[in-house]
Amino acid sequence: MIIQALAFYLFAAVTVASAVAVISVRNPVHSVLFLILAFFNSAGLFILLGAEFLAMILVVVYVGAVAVLFMFVVMMLDINFVELRQGFLQYLPIGALIGLILLVEILVMVGGWALSPEIASAVAAPTPAPETVTNTHALGELIYTRYVYLFQAAGIILLVAMIGAIVLTHRRRDGVRRQKVSEQIARRAEESATVRQVESGKGI
Amino acid sequence: MYTFAIFLPLLGAMVAGLLVFVGGEDEERRARMDRAAQWSTCGAMSLASIIAMFLFKEVALDGNPYTVELFTWIDSGALEVSWALKLDSLAVVMVLMVTVVSTMIHFYSIGYMHHDPSIPRFMSYLSLFTFFMLMLVTADNLIQLFFGWEGVGLVSYLLIGFWYDRPAANAAAIKAFVVNRVGDFGFMLGIFAVFVLFQSVNLDTIFSAAAGKADATIQVFGGEFHALTVIGLLLFVGAMGKSAQLGLHTWLPDAMEGPTPVSALIHAATMVTAGIFMVARLSPLFEYSETALTVITVVGATTAIFAATIGCVQNDIKRVIAYSTMSQLGYMFFALGVSAYSAGIFHLMTHAFFKALLFLGAGSVIHAMSDEQDMRRMGGIWKMIPVTYALMWIGSLALAGIWPFAGYYSKDTILEAAYAAGSGVGGYAFWMGITAAFLTAFYSWRLIIMTFHGAPRADERVMAHVHESPKVMILPLIVLAAGALFAGYLGFEYFVGSNAAEFWGNSILVLPGHDALENAHSVPLWVKYLPLVVAGAGIALAYVMYMFAPGLPAALASSFSAVHRFLLNKWYFDELYDLLFVRPAFYLGRNLWKTGDGAIIDGVGPDGLAAATLNLARRAAKLQTGYLYHYAFAMLIGVVSVVTWYLFTRAG
Amino acid sequence: MAAVPNLIPALPEIFLALTAMTLLMLGVFQKVDGDGQATARFVSYLAVIAFGLTILLVVTVGGGRKLTFDGMFITDFFGVFFKILVLIASALTLVISQGYLKVQGMARFEYPVLVMFATLGMMLMISANNLISLYLGLEMQSLALYVLASFQRDDMRSTEAGLKYFVLGALASGMLLYGSSLIYGFTGTTDFGAIAALFNSTAEGGPSVGVIIGLVFILAGLAFKVSAVPFHMWTPDVYEGAPTPVTAFFAVGPKLAAIALLLRVMIGPFGELAGQWQQIVAFISIASMVLGAFAAINQTNIKRMMAYSSIGNVGYVLIGLVVADEAGIRGVLIYMAIYLFMTLGAFTCILCMRRGGGMVEDIKDLAGLSRSHPMVALAMAIFMFSMAGIPPLAGFLGKLYIFMAAINAQLYTLAVIGVLSSVVGAFYYLRVIKVMYFDEPTDLLDRPVSREIGLVLAGSSLFVVLFVIYPLPLLAAAKAAAQALMGG
Repeated sequence: MIIQALAFYLFAAVTVASAVAVISVRNPVHSVLFLILAFFNSAGLFILLGAEFLAMILVVVYVGAVAVLFMFVVMMLDINFVELRQGFLQYLPIGALIGLILLVEILVMVGGWALSPEIASAVAAPTPAPETVTNTHALGELIYTRYVYLFQAAGIILLVAMIGAIVLTHRRRDGVRRQKVSEQIARRAEESATVRQVESGKGI
Repeated sequence: MYTFAIFLPLLGAMVAGLLVFVGGEDEERRARMDRAAQWSTCGAMSLASIIAMFLFKEVALDGNPYTVELFTWIDSGALEVSWALKLDSLAVVMVLMVTVVSTMIHFYSIGYMHHDPSIPRFMSYLSLFTFFMLMLVTADNLIQLFFGWEGVGLVSYLLIGFWYDRPAANAAAIKAFVVNRVGDFGFMLGIFAVFVLFQSVNLDTIFSAAAGKADATIQVFGGEFHALTVIGLLLFVGAMGKSAQLGLHTWLPDAMEGPTPVSALIHAATMVTAGIFMVARLSPLFEYSETALTVITVVGATTAIFAATIGCVQNDIKRVIAYSTMSQLGYMFFALGVSAYSAGIFHLMTHAFFKALLFLGAGSVIHAMSDEQDMRRMGGIWKMIPVTYALMWIGSLALAGIWPFAGYYSKDTILEAAYAAGSGVGGYAFWMGITAAFLTAFYSWRLIIMTFHGAPRADERVMAHVHESPKVMILPLIVLAAGALFAGYLGFEYFVGSNAAEFWGNSILVLPGHDALENAHSVPLWVKYLPLVVAGAGIALAYVMYMFAPGLPAALASSFSAVHRFLLNKWYFDELYDLLFVRPAFYLGRNLWKTGDGAIIDGVGPDGLAAATLNLARRAAKLQTGYLYHYAFAMLIGVVSVVTWYLFTRAG
Repeated sequence: MAAVPNLIPALPEIFLALTAMTLLMLGVFQKVDGDGQATARFVSYLAVIAFGLTILLVVTVGGGRKLTFDGMFITDFFGVFFKILVLIASALTLVISQGYLKVQGMARFEYPVLVMFATLGMMLMISANNLISLYLGLEMQSLALYVLASFQRDDMRSTEAGLKYFVLGALASGMLLYGSSLIYGFTGTTDFGAIAALFNSTAEGGPSVGVIIGLVFILAGLAFKVSAVPFHMWTPDVYEGAPTPVTAFFAVGPKLAAIALLLRVMIGPFGELAGQWQQIVAFISIASMVLGAFAAINQTNIKRMMAYSSIGNVGYVLIGLVVADEAGIRGVLIYMAIYLFMTLGAFTCILCMRRGGGMVEDIKDLAGLSRSHPMVALAMAIFMFSMAGIPPLAGFLGKLYIFMAAINAQLYTLAVIGVLSSVVGAFYYLRVIKVMYFDEPTDLLDRPVSREIGLVLAGSSLFVVLFVIYPLPLLAAAKAAAQALMGG
């Protein structure tokens, strides 16, 4: 038990610390690296909860794909982050004030945290005990039955995102030679090659 | 099914109205559109009038009045108004009359307006007018009545000003609109008063409650007045405006600036009778107020004689007929005033036929004389346009009330009823009516003789051009002439004779004691024959003065020059109004505008406020910097402040 | 194993989603000739037809209260009312877009497909009965709209508009999600019905602070979508920058859906807490009305002016929400229906503002419109008069119902501020009319106006003018919809 608690505090502390680092370090590449660290630690938290599938997905998708993509973008676009930060100090006092107020309010709110007895019974969709089914199986059972609507809606959202990305960036360029398999196969020798008698010393 | 009779004209108007926009520049395409507009409106009107005939048989002759609920219009508190058609005898008489006369005028317009550049617009207005008139006469509540009332007023404005490039037409249109507005204001106040008294504007509700409110009083300007009298007088002010009674009549002669079919349709046969119809429709209210009835009688009788005197000296052919219309409307009103409602409506119906006939005949003459309207430049054309000449005779005979023409039956009934009323005002009305009948006959034949007989006074170019109107104009005239001939004879028994009670059913209320019409059938013989005699005398005098001794009128005019000028200037009503209202209004307006509004109110109010507003506006716009993080900050600040506010108010 | 959920209530949505995907495939595999305009036009009209069919389906499925997908999806008469309005808005937007797309060289088939997906998102929002389905609908709609805003990708203003909308929208979504998670944390459920039941039973102690703060965050997220003050800042910039037909769509579609959602959330699960959120909404409403009225006065760009006008209109609508009884809701529904036609009509007029082949959008460019395009000027005048609330046009009646509801609920302050700000607002609406009719024209605008635009103009102006004569069907429908919401 104590090890679990220790692990939790370790992961949580590193997550928060690296999240702060993401927005505070000067070098954008370091920022992204800290972001990856935060992801890893979140995955660790998931493992502690027994949600190994989510942990792996987090690592594979966020670290393996998203963060690496971020890295590419950051390195390929030469953005002057110093310039972007110029207004930062100017707005720091008021930003800090707002953040502080919100923090205090949330603390007040959490301080008054009290679940009424009815709420315990109203907890949504109880998950099966982790020992009986695998993580993936449990997720699949819920996603494809109870939450099929949300699953499909999320799918459409991703489709829209894909269309959007293509609409905003894809340009048809002229003069690009594409591979058209059917045409290439259908070509015959006499269409593409002609035999000429070339006089020596003249050329065509 | 019968509802179509009401809405077909609207359909026609909409079709023709749309055609206005598709004409374009192309000559041939325009002509096609013109024809389409004419056919659609005339077709819709013909169908409507055929349906109206069946409707008339069903409702009036077979005695099956009913109400068609279309849909709820306003439902706000106590005010509940539906679109509904109240089809009883009174309404269907009007529907039949309006649709038939209107159809004839539609057809006539095809010929009369054939060289006008905006035919679809004209036809569309005509049909729209008819629709509003039908809405008016079939109204089941006062609001709908008012809707039709204002609708005809609006279209009348549009039609008087149809030739909007003529300043005179525009001025006349504005005048008609403004004068009517005065009347409408009274009408509106009347409706308000009705609502205050009855808590309803539904005719049936009002009528059934009227007897119970016979002695009710109403507070006006701090005084207690007999409620139904106040209502009656207010409503009558509205009727005076629309029906051009003395005081609010000045717009009607000027309205002759519109095209002649318009004069015939609106300013003779239908719209001006709206006032008569309204009083007859609201007979259950007017019956309880002797005062209101007396006022109506006096105003009607005075208008009858007043308009007749002016008619004797006018030289514009259409104005003569316009004044005769006013005079006849006066007859109808004093018939209403002595509780002979059915006689008034009877005269309204016959008058519609022969007055439309006269107007359209005059139009035919004007058409023949190359748009000349001054009778002093006509004459000697009766052989050249014999059909028009004959039709004008029929119309004039009917107007003068010569047996057996339609006017004889209705006008005699009215005069007899006035005599039989036995009251002082009844007697006044009777004698005024007799005098007016004499003058009517006189100016009618003055018109005929000046227009058709004597030496030609037009120039040769015009005379060479005189021709009979095309068939499409003459045929409607013949139909109307048939009406002028037979409508009186056919309608007499139903409208005012022995079948009257069952014919009218519940649509008109006459209290016991108000039995002028009953007694009218038993008046002394001299009363019955006097109108005929004076009409004959009038005709004779006209022949003497204008045919046999043509110098006489000029001699009379010069020896009684003051009287002649007084009549020629229409009793100086226009000048009086100009002095009393128009100029002070202009003066007041200019002063209020320059000093009151410009210096005082604008300086302090709008300009000051506007400056403050603009200042605020500039500040508000400045918040919009365009920087993304400002916007994000604004949102965060918004959320945080709302949360903070909430926490504090909840804690405190 | 759970049984297959009942798909019938969601039939219109399923149909729309499938059609959108089919049209996407159609567009992709269509042989491209030239710049793909023909394909875009073809797909657009198919989409319009699809919207029409969806309306039919919505009507067929009907207004009976039905839950499906484990209670996440609800259909009732309230939903039917709003879905029909949204579908009409989308269809009309596509119709009026055609000319613009062609002129600006942005006619691509993705445009109608994105509009369809946005519409699908709106329908999901309207039918949401769970915080998660609410969020997914909102995101689907928003994502499509972000793309649409920057659809004119070679235009700086358009891309800037898209970016601004995206960043701020993400922030708003974040707030919404944060609020939702607070609610979930404090109630243990995301289902609207369960939340409502919870508040019903724990009425005595009052809800915990956390719930209210969560509610505030949700309110903020939704207020962003309807562009209510102080979450409105994006509106003028995005309206100005986005392509005009997209702006027209922004001004009606998302507004309708977000207002529907706002009503559904506030009256449904949080109806018991009305006393808690009424003050907040009242504040937002007043701020929106006042800012909308004042800030619009100085605008020179007509799209910007319309942006402030829409902010002001949202203020009026929120009065109805503050009233929070059946009359108030009915007022909102009527107002939204009228607002749809007025706004779309006004934007259609703006779409007619072309000169020398390009679009112009300054108010002063309207000078002399009465001479060059008398019918367009007349229609625009009708819409402006209606927005200014001149009787007897529809806009007046819409305002009337809202203000009457406020007065009946004794919310006099709101009603008075509403009336005052609509007086101020009348100033800039009437200025447009003054420019059109009385200012000397500089250069006349291009003629002619395309047929589809003429039809939309004629239809919507007739609606605005004739509404007063036969308002009953809309009134009855709004009443039934309001009852469905209040009763459910």
